[in-house]
Amino acid sequence: MIEFLNPLLWGGLAAVSTPVIIHLLHRRKVKQVDWGAMRFLLEMLAKRRRRLFLDELLLLLVRTLLVGCVALAMLRPAFHRRAAESGAGGIIRQGRTAGVLLIDDSLSSAAGRAQPVFEGMKKLGLAYLDSLAPGDEISLVLMSQSGAPANDPLFDIEGLKAHLAGLKSSYVATDIPALLDAGLNQLKRHINPGAELVLLTDGRNDGWHEEDTARWDELRERLRGPRNAALGTRQRPQVIVLAPEPAALDDNLAIIDLGMDRTLVAAGRPAGLGVVVANYGKQGSRQAAVQVAVNGQVIGSEPFEVPAGGRQELVFTHTFETAGSYALEAALVNHQDLLPADDRRALSIQVEASVGVLLVDGGNSPAGLQSKLGFLAAALDPDLGGRGPFKVTRISLAQFAPSLLQDYRVVVLGDVPVLEPAMVDALERFVVSGGGILAGLGPDSDLTLINRYWARNGDGFLPCPLERPVTPPKPALPAAISAGHPVFNGFGSRSDDAWKAAKVRSYFKLDVGKAKGSELDVLLKMDNGDALLVERRRGLGLVALMATSLNADWTDLPLQAAYVPLMRGVAGHLGSFVMPPRNLVPGDSIIYARVKDPAKPMSGEGPSGKPMKLTPGSWEGRAAVLSEPLMEPGVYLLHDPQQPGPIRYAVSVAPAESALLPVTDRQMALALDGGMSLFHDPGQIAANLDPARRRSVELWKWCLFGALLLMFVEGSMTRRQALAEGKDRAYGLNRANLNAGLKL
Amino acid sequence: MTLLDKVHQEVIERLGNLSVTARQAVESVLAGQHRSVRRGLSVEFAGHREYQPGDDLRHLDWLVYARSDRYDIRQYEEETKLRATLILDASGSMGYGSARQTKFAYAQALTAALGFLMIRQGDAVGLAACDTAIRHFIPPGSTMAHFLNVLAALEETAPGNETSLAPVLDEIASRLSRRGLVVLITDTFDDPQALLRSIHYLRHRKQEVRLFQILDPQERTFPFQGMIEFVGLEHEPGLKLDGDRVREHYRQVFQGHQQRLQAGCHACGVQMETCWTDEELFTVLIRALAWR
Repeated sequence: MIEFLNPLLWGGLAAVSTPVIIHLLHRRKVKQVDWGAMRFLLEMLAKRRRRLFLDELLLLLVRTLLVGCVALAMLRPAFHRRAAESGAGGIIRQGRTAGVLLIDDSLSSAAGRAQPVFEGMKKLGLAYLDSLAPGDEISLVLMSQSGAPANDPLFDIEGLKAHLAGLKSSYVATDIPALLDAGLNQLKRHINPGAELVLLTDGRNDGWHEEDTARWDELRERLRGPRNAALGTRQRPQVIVLAPEPAALDDNLAIIDLGMDRTLVAAGRPAGLGVVVANYGKQGSRQAAVQVAVNGQVIGSEPFEVPAGGRQELVFTHTFETAGSYALEAALVNHQDLLPADDRRALSIQVEASVGVLLVDGGNSPAGLQSKLGFLAAALDPDLGGRGPFKVTRISLAQFAPSLLQDYRVVVLGDVPVLEPAMVDALERFVVSGGGILAGLGPDSDLTLINRYWARNGDGFLPCPLERPVTPPKPALPAAISAGHPVFNGFGSRSDDAWKAAKVRSYFKLDVGKAKGSELDVLLKMDNGDALLVERRRGLGLVALMATSLNADWTDLPLQAAYVPLMRGVAGHLGSFVMPPRNLVPGDSIIYARVKDPAKPMSGEGPSGKPMKLTPGSWEGRAAVLSEPLMEPGVYLLHDPQQPGPIRYAVSVAPAESALLPVTDRQMALALDGGMSLFHDPGQIAANLDPARRRSVELWKWCLFGALLLMFVEGSMTRRQALAEGKDRAYGLNRANLNAGLKL
Repeated sequence: MTLLDKVHQEVIERLGNLSVTARQAVESVLAGQHRSVRRGLSVEFAGHREYQPGDDLRHLDWLVYARSDRYDIRQYEEETKLRATLILDASGSMGYGSARQTKFAYAQALTAALGFLMIRQGDAVGLAACDTAIRHFIPPGSTMAHFLNVLAALEETAPGNETSLAPVLDEIASRLSRRGLVVLITDTFDDPQALLRSIHYLRHRKQEVRLFQILDPQERTFPFQGMIEFVGLEHEPGLKLDGDRVREHYRQVFQGHQQRLQAGCHACGVQMETCWTDEELFTVLIRALAWR
């Protein structure tokens, strides 16, 4: 097959029409001449009309072909002979190679017994670079820089070898599909006909994401290319996987989780801090302990024993005296293993003094348990004294005014039938600026008004529009929850069973399809599949929507034990939700959305006290400051002059990198649909990637040669013209001599 | 300027401006021309008379003496005058001209100059202006008044119709009963076979023929570039051609025509002189006269 390596220049073929256009324009400019010797012209035409026509046609053809050859040469056509599929017979390269070296420099590549696995990976990478020849071009894509702008390919193989030799592993998590995707995109910047995607991996299982079938299907489709594409071309690149021999399971202890036992951490009240330690080795842990610090101050240390392959959760209790931003750090002490980076974990939390919650009752009387929000008020503030983390205020709809919103973090709408347009606007501003809204529906809810003004087809403050009210013949039961969501932190291990006693007699079916993209989270579903509780982020805040009533009008959920932790979880989550997020992974950047004066300068420092570079930017339409990608785990501080204390950010490695499970050759082959070559050893690379074996032929030289030939033909065809003109000049000279000679 | 003035200016005055040696050379050539013409003519026998003392014994008819013992002298009606007919091609193609004058103007001047030179040496000159037919015919005469008539006829003539010299030459040949000189002044843009046949017929009719081919330089070089619409001067259909593309082919056809004419004239014993309209008339005359 023939591939055109510069397809962007297809437009150049339009230049082929230039000689024809010039010819046609030339014919339009006709001068008229009275001529006496017509008989000679007529005689000439009678004898040579056909030849004249053929001469003209031939000249036009030659000129058109000449331009066509040049345009074709610029397209860089390359003829690829169909190569045998790669395998034991070695890889046949299609002409000069365009190689993209995809390096998995994730955290897991730092582990290793004698030396980090990453060093072995570099040897494989260098062996691959040795198999290239002058004229081959190569790109480097690192997992740790996969979000950075792409660079142009390089022809300096030696320089790249030096650069590869100096690389170190990073703290980022692996994402093999993302790396392959980045490689395919980078390949578009190359110009050589032969294409190779070289995946340099540490041979660990993490990051392959085999369960993400949609992503892999799309990748495999792109790697396969069009039906008749030859292997090793840019349409169907050769996939080469370089991985050190899979190592035996390495011993590794890691802190894989650090979290609070509640969504809202209130100042002055003790809160539980959970640390989960996992043992990925073959031996049990010995004499290790977990030490926990808050803002750098150690608050506790506890020894633990985790059997091989097991996990253990250790709980610490701490009272945060004042509101503000805190960084919690957990670290393994008295322990050394092959991957020290996962022996520490940090968590950033926002401690609130209390969360003001405004309950807007849609009924006639806001007081009492029987009102629309009576049960909710009791769940959040049982003694109605405001001494808990939630300071609850109950009002009727008539008392609801925009000016009230500034004093609260959370607003709850209980079966409100109607809202003034000014109130709808105020609520939208409220949530976009960081507030939280919980909307409960009920018998007084007006579907048309709600859809038109609150939901607006997904553009309003409500997470999604309503389809219709539903009263199932048999009450629906809450069935499935969004596991791991902070709302359910308070349920612990009982989160799967807590709902089964509740019944939902009536509810509004939610049109979850109208929410844009993946912004909508379904927190609680019913057994018939309909959503019961959903949430959606809006600007800096969150909105949750309960499809049924928050009182007992439509459901007996308020009468169940799960109701209180659920409502406290929702209200706590809405009231303490922090955006942009402050718990990051290596490779993320700090984004701090400045609510107040963006002109005042800010500063920041990293884990070792090193100053951070901050640049002004924007985030979702509001002024923000951004940092460079943070590659090192730890706690980062940001100083905003308009805040009483620093804002703390925590960067922690992905827990999946700690498992260090090897990926088998079969697993890799399955993921790549068998279309790959796998080498574990530099010697194998040398044997199979022979630089002397080049199958494809670039045709641009032949096109240019053809153009030269045609230029010669065109020149000789028109040379007669020049010769004839030369004869005229000679004739004129002779006549002048003759006349001069006769002058007496 | 009349034709006569032009002839004066181009020929007579130039003759006067020549150096004595040159003038003598020219005049001797002219004189030699005259004599050579005469030599070329036959003398007609007019009868016998009785010998008178003093008669040239070369003219004694010895055959009569042998038969009759009488001394008789042969009497001749001697032709002392050249009878020249100047045939001027007045077809449309003669109207072409890229230099300072058209072919026809050039031909007119040449005809007048030749006629004047012949009249001056006492020869008889006639004129036939033609295209497809004879438009003017003046039989040869030797007086200046006659020559002025010829000039007047020349001045009245303008180029017009198509070229068809062959039948015209045949007709003129039939009108010329006596030996003479026919000077054909044309661009020869006619069927060369037919033209040569007619010339041959003239030769058969005991006419000496001189052919002056009048051509414009562009008719040889064909210098046209780009797309040209050629409009014929003899009502031919127009032709749109690319000058650059057809130039070489045209020249080949033109050369072929010239070669056929020259070969044909040589075979008939006809002197052909090609005159270019950017050449001085005087130069052409000297060259023509130098043939003899």
